Amino acid sequence: MNEPVMTDMRSEYSKTLVQLGKENPNIVVLGADTTDSLKTSSFGKEFPNRFFNVGIAEANLVTTSAGLAVSGKIPFASTYAIFLPGRAVDQIRNNVAYPSPPGKKGLNVKFVVSHGGLSVGPDGGSHQQIEDIGIMRVIPNLRVFIPADTIAVSQLTSLMANEYGPFYMRMARSKTPLIHSDSQKFETGKAITLRDGSDCTIAACGITVRMALEAAESLQQEGISCRVLDMFSIKPIDGETLEKAARETGCIVTAEEHNVVGGMGSAVAESVSESYPVPIKRIGAQDMFGESARDKEIPLLLEKHGITSFNMVKQVKEVRSKKL
Amino acid sequence: MGLNYYQIKKNILRARKLVIKATNTAGSGHPGGSFSMAEILGCLFYKYLKFDPKNPQWEDRDRLVLSKGHAAPGLFSNMAVAGYFPESELETLRKFGSKLQGHPDLKCPGVEFCGGSLGTGLSYSVGIALAGKIDSKDYHVYTIIGDGESDEGQVWEAAMTAGKYNVDNLTVFLDRNFIQQDSYTEKIMPLDKKLETDNLSEMWKDASRWKTGDKWRSFGWNVIEIDGHRVEQIDAAIAKANATKGVPTIIISRTIKGKAVEHMEDNPAWHGKAPDSDVVPIINMELDSQFMIAPSIIAGDMSNLENEVKRCVTGRSDYIHLDVMDGQFVPNKTFDHTKIKELRPLTVIPFDSHLMINEPLKHVRDYIDAGSDIITVHAEVTDESSFGEIHDLLKQNQVGVGFAINPDTELPEWFYKFIPSLDQLIVMSVVPGKSGQKYIEETHSKMARLNAILKEHDFSGYIEADGGVNLENIGSVFADGARAFVGGGAIIGQQDVRAAIREFRTEVLSSRRELLLDKANELGGIELVNKWIGLHVVGEKQEQIKKIAQERGYL
Repeated sequence: MNEPVMTDMRSEYSKTLVQLGKENPNIVVLGADTTDSLKTSSFGKEFPNRFFNVGIAEANLVTTSAGLAVSGKIPFASTYAIFLPGRAVDQIRNNVAYPSPPGKKGLNVKFVVSHGGLSVGPDGGSHQQIEDIGIMRVIPNLRVFIPADTIAVSQLTSLMANEYGPFYMRMARSKTPLIHSDSQKFETGKAITLRDGSDCTIAACGITVRMALEAAESLQQEGISCRVLDMFSIKPIDGETLEKAARETGCIVTAEEHNVVGGMGSAVAESVSESYPVPIKRIGAQDMFGESARDKEIPLLLEKHGITSFNMVKQVKEVRSKKL
Repeated sequence: MGLNYYQIKKNILRARKLVIKATNTAGSGHPGGSFSMAEILGCLFYKYLKFDPKNPQWEDRDRLVLSKGHAAPGLFSNMAVAGYFPESELETLRKFGSKLQGHPDLKCPGVEFCGGSLGTGLSYSVGIALAGKIDSKDYHVYTIIGDGESDEGQVWEAAMTAGKYNVDNLTVFLDRNFIQQDSYTEKIMPLDKKLETDNLSEMWKDASRWKTGDKWRSFGWNVIEIDGHRVEQIDAAIAKANATKGVPTIIISRTIKGKAVEHMEDNPAWHGKAPDSDVVPIINMELDSQFMIAPSIIAGDMSNLENEVKRCVTGRSDYIHLDVMDGQFVPNKTFDHTKIKELRPLTVIPFDSHLMINEPLKHVRDYIDAGSDIITVHAEVTDESSFGEIHDLLKQNQVGVGFAINPDTELPEWFYKFIPSLDQLIVMSVVPGKSGQKYIEETHSKMARLNAILKEHDFSGYIEADGGVNLENIGSVFADGARAFVGGGAIIGQQDVRAAIREFRTEVLSSRRELLLDKANELGGIELVNKWIGLHVVGEKQEQIKKIAQERGYL
């Protein structure tokens, strides 16, 4: 594969927000003392009266957003992943997802976080959010995205601004390789088939998508045809595409920088076990926490948890042997 | 514009009764916290809130956020009284398929906030207020938070945010009832000062214990502290808050959990419990028996009425009764509207202007403009046409409508059609004209006759007893049906007005306890009498009621 072009998700998010802010005066942005890091401060410079920094107060961040949303605004509330779902789950549930104006489901708040998963690196296990997908996807009305690159970030940010209801989108801290083409369309609940294949499927999200493509490439050398899905929409999950993959490839490997308990792999397994059960192998943190790793050591940290293209190749072979 | 005192009071009473009905039917719910905020909601719903029950999503409406969501029955009851849905719908509270959920929910049009998880309503309100600022809307956000939920750190996160962003379109009420689920707030997590004993009254003895206001002031808020059961204080506080620009306002409203039902008052057990069906009629009777004490200042120093008003304030009277005499309708002359206008700035306590004057229609406008909250005119000098005009004028100006009859006057038949909208009927028990006369005993039998007529014509106001009421006879006057009591010499004539008023209240309370025990006996015999007594567990109430029951031969 070609050497990837690396781009920054937070910059793309910020750029898209400013653009959206110009088009739609109802868009407001809230932060919790991480607005420089999230780069949302540029929205504040452009639209000072539509930008609120509530300080290190995540519960307040969430509920203030709810109040703005119920009054017709479209709030984007952003901070680090570790400080939002885990810390403010009650506010997310009871102030945003649960309250449903007549004919609607939940309030129109968009949670966009950075620093998801193990690849946060040096800050250590305390700051590596590997539970957020599990926490967020069990809450009714809430939709959950993990974009794989900046094209997805930009598209999904626009999508959220235009689609009513509460969303959670998790970005990575480090620059990410470009995966998608500029013309790629994103739809809530629709996985993207990045590579076709007939012997096995790898379902990935976020930083594992590039790894999955690499693994598929390497499996190709061995004569194994591997399908790769970008499962950016974890909730709603694309049951149709998954059923088709199960039916046509007979086995699935999932990969994510999240606990395998309750994460994207769980969501895939839940869906497939009801539609067309096939052997599944889940790659991710095996119900254990992360730890510090300097930027250049992040691959080592991921490797410790089996989050590598090498392990994907291995797991594909193993899961194939269990085919029904 | 007057206070609209009686209309607010009547609606508060209706809402309280609905809370009892709803929680009883549901078999659970939170009457205690619904009652501590009853007067606050009353003032908001029936005077200040801009809303349209036919169009609950009207975008310019004021927003009412009930952060202490467990007090949902209180909110729903007022919404019913205000016309959002029929009062009968309260019977669906907490039931499967109802829009009246256990906690307020957007499922019910008109509800602004899904409450329940405590400590979050203020952040939400700040969000609504900020949206209003962005859109240059002039709606106002009113939020009610509890003292228990003030344990939550998020309340203070929101307090800081509101200060930072100068959301002066936000007014918060702290329903400071000193009780949370486990016990007294000052034992669980003090907001003022840790309570070392089990005696809640400690918190009321010394205002220097109260530190909550300082906390909010230090967060940059405009702080107003009031008695949260006094309609006139709530009214004045809201007016002041609305006029305050640049900072948010919090109205720290000291209240009593379970207020208006003696056995629920200050009893943590009534935080989240529904009353049993057999006591509901007794509770309703108790709610119907709220009473007011109105000192008449002409019994004091006529040359210094300002000071007499101040003595009423110190004495915590419910109204100030102002006897206007013109020297024609009665031989004496006291003062007129100019004096009332001078006295008005001294207090927010309602002015109960009793016009003993000829041709009241000619003068009533002056008394409205002087700041009267209730105006009473005499049967002897009005007829159907002139009273009709007075009635309409008073209603338009949110001034309570009063009608008075002298000892030898019967209620005229032309008046019957006004009874349903009458706020106050003064039954004179002395010949008007001067203070210091003896109560005319025939008034007792007259009251019995009047009660029958009033009941037949759907009277929902208060009967005010005026003349010769004292500590010896006030109990029997209450038993006759009077619910407001003018006290001349017996109150204003005393050295210590506050003590005199307190004694008046104690006597009425005792008479009311008799009434309720009789009701219990009538409905369920000795068993219900015992149950009723057993409900009164706070302080010395039980012993006192037991004694009354013994005197009445029940025990």
